[in-house]
Amino acid sequence: MTIDWSWIGDHTDDLTSLTLSHLQAAMTAVFFGLLISLPLAVVAHRVRPLRGFLLGLSNVLFTIPSIAIFVLLLPVSGLTRTTTVIGLTVYTLVVLLRNTVEGLDSVPAKTKEAAKAMGTRPLRTLLTVELPLALPVIMAGVRIATVMSISLVSVATYIGDGGLGQLFTDGFQRDFPTPVIVGVVLTILLAVVADALLVALQYVLTPWRRRRA
Amino acid sequence: MFELFKNLGTWLTSGSQWAGSDGIAHRLGEHLQYSLLATLIAAAIGLPLGLLIGHTGKGAFVAINLASFGRALPTVGLVVLVFLAGGLSMLPVYVALVALAVPAIVTNTYAGMTAVDPDVKDAARGQGMRGHQVLFQVELPLALPLIMTGLRLALIQVVATATIAAYVSFGGLGRYVFDGLAQRDLVQVLGGAVLVAVVAVVLDLLLSTLQRFLFLPHARTDSRGGTPTRTA
Amino acid sequence: MNRRTLLGGLFAAASVPALAACSGGITSLNESSGSTAGGGSSKGGITIGTANFTENQVLGYLYAAVLQQAGVKVKVRPNLGTREIVIPALKAGDIDLLPEYQGALLNYLAPKDASAEPGTMQNALTLALPAGLQVLPYGQAADSDCFVVTRATAQKYGLTSLADLAKQNGRLVIGAAPEVKKRRVGAVGLQEVYGVQFKEFKSLDSDGPLVKGALKKGDVDVANLFTTDTDIAADDWVVLSDPKNLIPSQHIVPLIADRKADDTVRKALARLGNVLTTEQLTQLNSQVDNDKKDPEDVAAAYAKQHGLA
Repeated sequence: MTIDWSWIGDHTDDLTSLTLSHLQAAMTAVFFGLLISLPLAVVAHRVRPLRGFLLGLSNVLFTIPSIAIFVLLLPVSGLTRTTTVIGLTVYTLVVLLRNTVEGLDSVPAKTKEAAKAMGTRPLRTLLTVELPLALPVIMAGVRIATVMSISLVSVATYIGDGGLGQLFTDGFQRDFPTPVIVGVVLTILLAVVADALLVALQYVLTPWRRRRA
Repeated sequence: MFELFKNLGTWLTSGSQWAGSDGIAHRLGEHLQYSLLATLIAAAIGLPLGLLIGHTGKGAFVAINLASFGRALPTVGLVVLVFLAGGLSMLPVYVALVALAVPAIVTNTYAGMTAVDPDVKDAARGQGMRGHQVLFQVELPLALPLIMTGLRLALIQVVATATIAAYVSFGGLGRYVFDGLAQRDLVQVLGGAVLVAVVAVVLDLLLSTLQRFLFLPHARTDSRGGTPTRTA
Repeated sequence: MNRRTLLGGLFAAASVPALAACSGGITSLNESSGSTAGGGSSKGGITIGTANFTENQVLGYLYAAVLQQAGVKVKVRPNLGTREIVIPALKAGDIDLLPEYQGALLNYLAPKDASAEPGTMQNALTLALPAGLQVLPYGQAADSDCFVVTRATAQKYGLTSLADLAKQNGRLVIGAAPEVKKRRVGAVGLQEVYGVQFKEFKSLDSDGPLVKGALKKGDVDVANLFTTDTDIAADDWVVLSDPKNLIPSQHIVPLIADRKADDTVRKALARLGNVLTTEQLTQLNSQVDNDKKDPEDVAAAYAKQHGLA
């Protein structure tokens, strides 16, 4: 199996736009995943009976093959980017929900009591005490969800989207390895860079943890 | 939506749908075969690796980073790549499934090993136990809950991902998903998806029950296990 | 290749359903008086969709090249899936234009309707199409489905026509794309018209590496391919004849949403249809499949060479 280097040189524009499209799909999914899972996690954290139900439901969703989710969305959102993003968001939920609940659980009861004693209102306690303290665990979830989504985007190539995944079906149909190799390498690179950026973001967001390291 | 689920009932319960080489029974068997074999191979690679790294404390950084690389590996790309390199066989599917399962097994095994109290290990050595005795008689039993969590995680991921076998002409429950996509037969797609989910949930329950019976002293399933991930 | 940019993608993610609904609404308001003649406008640009096989992508990019020359803004979305997936997307407004094949399209819309004569078929298509879609004049190039066997298999079982397959009922394995199992030009029609029953239907791909590989390896005895595939001649495969005309004539025909069909588009595509021959299309396919050239480049070079772009 040889790499056709000139193909890569001739396709830098295409590769750039596919990479950006790939990244955009993954990041949009993680964004919506956070938007949905943060409130759900707060509910799951506070209302014990709902906790098992919500986590269980997200676990079951996780066992559904991603291709099936994309196809089953076709009557709803057709062959669009929306279908890709909804499908990916479903998979980010299990990671984000679980980690956010665990993050909130990890906040010491004493800390919350102290906030209460100081007269802080519940919502304010959540936003200024609990969530910031849960942030490291939540960010760990965001990192996993991001890497996973970047890997998963390519499945949407079966419904005509999929960013770098298009290189896989293209190479497959033409018995042409170069685009496939390039697609795999770029996907991994994208994941590694995104992960590193998130680590940096976490460093910036949690100044109180720096002294420990 | 209601119509879809009503038709799903008919699809799942019709006798003709269960029989024959494209029947549910046969496809279910294929799917189980792919998933279990891939998970076994992954365990044969991942368990020793995780134990070794955990026991010696060497190579942990490399292993954990490789594992997160593994999480980024796009299954579709890997399957196509191995197919183009080696031609049409089940090899591409197994390579992709094993690549998906190994990181979950290694990281959880390693996590289980590092969670063992160092004092316990010191005490074992103090009693004159050798390295391998400490590993197999002390560390391994204590790490088992997390190791099992890793295996269950790997199996669930593999069951859902084994769908990809159908992309390169093979069987399994993914056949219904890919054929249903090509024919725009959503009932078939939903049927395949539901069956995959049921297989994953049932296998997970079986493993957790097994875990409870086999390792009674350490029976509680450990929630510190790694987060599941998906690459297809 | 997809030329969608980050911004375009962001925009698409946020607004595709809304945009589709909105543009549909506006055109139907503006054009409510015009029925089939004239119809829509290509001013806002046209999105060309293509199915999941090489030739359809070549055709999609050929459409793109000639339309661009005519001043229409185009976007190509390659490799979207099968006809069963792509046509609903055309109806829904995700795409506007699709390279199609007369007979296969007619069979999709109204099974059993496919007559052999291209002119008759064009009329039948116009009648069978749902509201909002129309076919433009068909081109001279044609590409039919065909069923092939290896030379050795042909000799072993004495196969020259599709009718001969029935003599081997229950013995032969057919390989084709999954959708062919449910199509008339496929397992359904072979059974109805020729009484053929295969031992097994293997779901593979549309004239791609899986089906051709399986035929070479002997995993399947009969393969569903396209007549414009140079591998058939190169590998000395035998195309089974079709004495009962199960397989209709398949001239290439643009299928377009009414809202986008204007004279600019009509003229540009008609010019291409008149120039492109079956032989040329076959060569273009081969450049993509065998020489690993991009369908986009192959199409652009052809259009330039023939004064179409």
